[in-house]
Amino acid sequence: MRFEATMKQAVVRRTVREFAGSKLADAAVEMDRTARFPLDLAGEMADLQYFGLEIPAKYGGAGLDAVSSAMVVEEISRANAAMGLCISVHNGVSAYPMYLFGTPEQHRRFLPLMASGEKIGTFCLTEPNAGSDIASIESTAIRRGDEYVLNGNKVFVTNGGVSGINLILARLRGTERAEGLTVFIVESERRGLDKGPPEDLMGMRGNPVCPILLNDCCVPSHNVLGREGEGMKVALSSLNGGRIGIGAQALGIAQACLDVSLTYAEQRYQFGKRLVELETIQKFLADMTIRIEGARLLIYRASHLKDRGLDYARESAMAKLYASEVAVEAGRRGVQMHGGYGYTKAYPIERYYRDAKVCEIYEGTSEIQRMVIARSLLSEVSGSKGENGYEHRSVHKTGSRRTYYSY
Amino acid sequence: MDKGSLLHGVWVFGDYRNYFQNRVTLQLIAKGRGLAETLRTRVTVLLLGEAVHQYAMEYIAHGADVVMVAEHPDLKCYQVESYTNVVARWAEAFKPNILLGGATSFGREFFPRLAKRLRTGLSADCVNLAVDPDTGLLLQTTPAFGGNLLAEVVTSQHRPQMATIHPCVFKELPHNAGAVGRVVYPEIEVKANTRVRVLRSRRQQVQRDNLQDAEIVIVGGRGLGSKNQFKLLFELAELLEGEVGATRPVVLAGWADEERLLGQTGKTVKPKVLISIGTSGALQYTTGIKEAETIIAINRDPQAPIFKMADLGLVGESSAVLPLLLETLRNRI
Amino acid sequence: MNIVVCIKQVPDEPIIRIDSERMTLIREGTESTINPLDRVALEAGLHLRKHNGGQVTVLSMGPPRGEESLREALAAGADRAILLTDPAFAGSDTLATSHVLARAISRLRPFPDLLLCGMKTIDSDTGHVGPQIAEELGIPQVCGVNKINLEEDSLVVERLSDGFLDTVKVTLPALISVSRECCPVRSLPLGALEIAFSQGDVTRWGCQELGVSEEEVGLKGSATRVRRLLTPAFTRKGEIVSGSPRLLVDRLIGTLEAVGLLDEEDG
Repeated sequence: MRFEATMKQAVVRRTVREFAGSKLADAAVEMDRTARFPLDLAGEMADLQYFGLEIPAKYGGAGLDAVSSAMVVEEISRANAAMGLCISVHNGVSAYPMYLFGTPEQHRRFLPLMASGEKIGTFCLTEPNAGSDIASIESTAIRRGDEYVLNGNKVFVTNGGVSGINLILARLRGTERAEGLTVFIVESERRGLDKGPPEDLMGMRGNPVCPILLNDCCVPSHNVLGREGEGMKVALSSLNGGRIGIGAQALGIAQACLDVSLTYAEQRYQFGKRLVELETIQKFLADMTIRIEGARLLIYRASHLKDRGLDYARESAMAKLYASEVAVEAGRRGVQMHGGYGYTKAYPIERYYRDAKVCEIYEGTSEIQRMVIARSLLSEVSGSKGENGYEHRSVHKTGSRRTYYSY
Repeated sequence: MDKGSLLHGVWVFGDYRNYFQNRVTLQLIAKGRGLAETLRTRVTVLLLGEAVHQYAMEYIAHGADVVMVAEHPDLKCYQVESYTNVVARWAEAFKPNILLGGATSFGREFFPRLAKRLRTGLSADCVNLAVDPDTGLLLQTTPAFGGNLLAEVVTSQHRPQMATIHPCVFKELPHNAGAVGRVVYPEIEVKANTRVRVLRSRRQQVQRDNLQDAEIVIVGGRGLGSKNQFKLLFELAELLEGEVGATRPVVLAGWADEERLLGQTGKTVKPKVLISIGTSGALQYTTGIKEAETIIAINRDPQAPIFKMADLGLVGESSAVLPLLLETLRNRI
Repeated sequence: MNIVVCIKQVPDEPIIRIDSERMTLIREGTESTINPLDRVALEAGLHLRKHNGGQVTVLSMGPPRGEESLREALAAGADRAILLTDPAFAGSDTLATSHVLARAISRLRPFPDLLLCGMKTIDSDTGHVGPQIAEELGIPQVCGVNKINLEEDSLVVERLSDGFLDTVKVTLPALISVSRECCPVRSLPLGALEIAFSQGDVTRWGCQELGVSEEEVGLKGSATRVRRLLTPAFTRKGEIVSGSPRLLVDRLIGTLEAVGLLDEEDG
């Protein structure tokens, strides 16, 4: 069991940190203010292969392992959470699922475009009436000869405003709940796909989150990702990996909160002392340090399991849940520590707090994550399949308890 | 040629190119005298060039016992390899104990090559020199890690003990018209250098920034309380003909531009006087100002770390002191 | 054009920890990086290769973890990386370091046309190694260069020296040390890092390969030694005055007068 980063991982982290510090940090303020996505900056990042983190080199990706990839997202998010979100979602729930479930033909057609950043990806799941309850989505897909006609209304699509390739979950007509759910690859330029105006968000401003509307949008049958009826499996698997990314994102934000809080506490005087000398503040700093370290270890462990090809559904849920809650707490207590100044835009802490909140919501709310974790424990004991197909490949049919720490 | 007075002496490389470098030479001669007296030896200045005799007299007047001159048309331009050839031969012949040069751009390029030729030790950009009372060795204090640490270096076995010295660390001796010294012309063999040729040389007005050039810098910190209070600093700067700097919290608060930021992530200034108002004295800030000649701090908290760095610390409310200061200055002018 | 770039791995930590016995840095557990000016030198070399063809070989002398910096150099685009490492090299001053590097360079076939390095390092700050390598190899040097142009068999470079901007022509082979402005440094592409660390090749040469004896290198081969390390002291007067604003203002003005920034008032 080794707890240090490998030489490569350390260099990747440092390289990204330097890049993020010099190019992304300043842009973050502007992005938050104008809610505008910086295409030129994205272009620079694309050249450095930030859009193909875990995609193999033969498709133009960076070919990194999951741990390195998590570090990349963390360091970007530490400087610029909205950009971190873009990278995390594009890689985690769009490009990587394309890689995992795509046919060789689909790999050839789409992966190079995504890995090079030429086409930014999305995964369109949520609808006005379907949030956590994925199986209740209402978007339809009607088979018509060699193509499908899609109709539906997807909301809160991260990266939507600038996306080129969209993975869309729709239901085959006449099916109910999880059966018949299918994921379709829909290029943005297809007729019948329209993008609505971007959302005016509390945080992560600058990420072009918008609705995507499908109006008799026809896609050829070879644009099905996976198979008909496998949509739930594709979606859940994508969310699995995506959770690590969101966890890493939240971790980056939490770390940023701690960094600025520490700096402030070192410089601010009250009661004749610097804040760092006051016990209350020391307790806060200690608590945050422990929690951030905990989040980091959970994220790396989930990534490590993914790299080893082992099941990581529970661990990624734990990582995402914990990291997002740590980030929100870091933001809240960070603002508190900054006092009145923390409530102003003169200090970045209020932005970090606003950015952090959504981490508890998207890609599976904290409530859902808890459910996932609980069910994975239960399924171990009873060997049962959860509802909505939350299945765990590590279920032992003999019913014996899985060793909790399978290092 | 009397080798005796040259043997084991303290040698100083004479750089006469411009007013500034020449002053550095005089500073080194002064320090060299101090070292030579402790070591009971003499100070020799090396003078290379074409028609340089005039400088020899000046160096003697400022403390040199001997001036060794090499005059040759091919030595007219300061050139690393030609100079290395000449000085190395002299050093091999006369075996000086110590060889000092200014840490000018030329010195820092020339001395390492020379030290390598002589297979001896060299320290760079020294801020202090002393003779160790026990060993008689030259203790060379050089900055390391960007000046955050000082290293005390010795060259125990190899000779000469070489060092380049930071300009303006030592003070030159006053001109003594009655000083006595010798000017000698040892044999030299000079080959024209064909490998490196200066095609053009243009004096550069280094594009420097007002803040870094200012004699007096007034820095405002968060303790000033508001942008309006900060604005008063500009008035003060105008009255004192200085410039205004700011700390990171002030820049973050939007009271001042990033260009005015001083400290680790901003600028470093070395003014004659620095007045720091309403700043607590965080390390990230003070690294940018610590080399100011005189630091005056104003803060309402007597425990503020800035006071440890100040020559004069004034404990009081800036909101009361500043307006009164402005008024007093306005009345004087 | 055969280019050799000499790089040094330096600490990246803002806090420096010193081994007070050996008067050296404690490097274990600290993050390291390529000396920033050496990184500029590498970019300059890659830039020349891009426009004139040829090969860029990167050399570094250091402990085994120096491999990390060499792999970074490979990721940046270097063709070949050689780590000069041997326990005997420890404690080398610039005299010994330049000897090791010069021996390594003289082993390369063909002999390089151009040697590049940074003007100085952020830890030792001397700037000696470049000129000392040039001296051992008997080649000309130009230091502090901020612009390089290749012209047939020679280089025309620009550099700032003692307040003058010199345009210098130097015949090849030569050693050039660069300043920060010489070449912009790009961030490393992630895929290149992955390849450099998984497939990249770093050759290791020690005393044996270089044909040097232990007396010529390390502490034994050094002329200078650090006797001790000191923290610069704040020699400030530290006088603290409290009182009425009038008193404080008078004291302030008094100090300004004392240092000559204000003329003393009559009366």
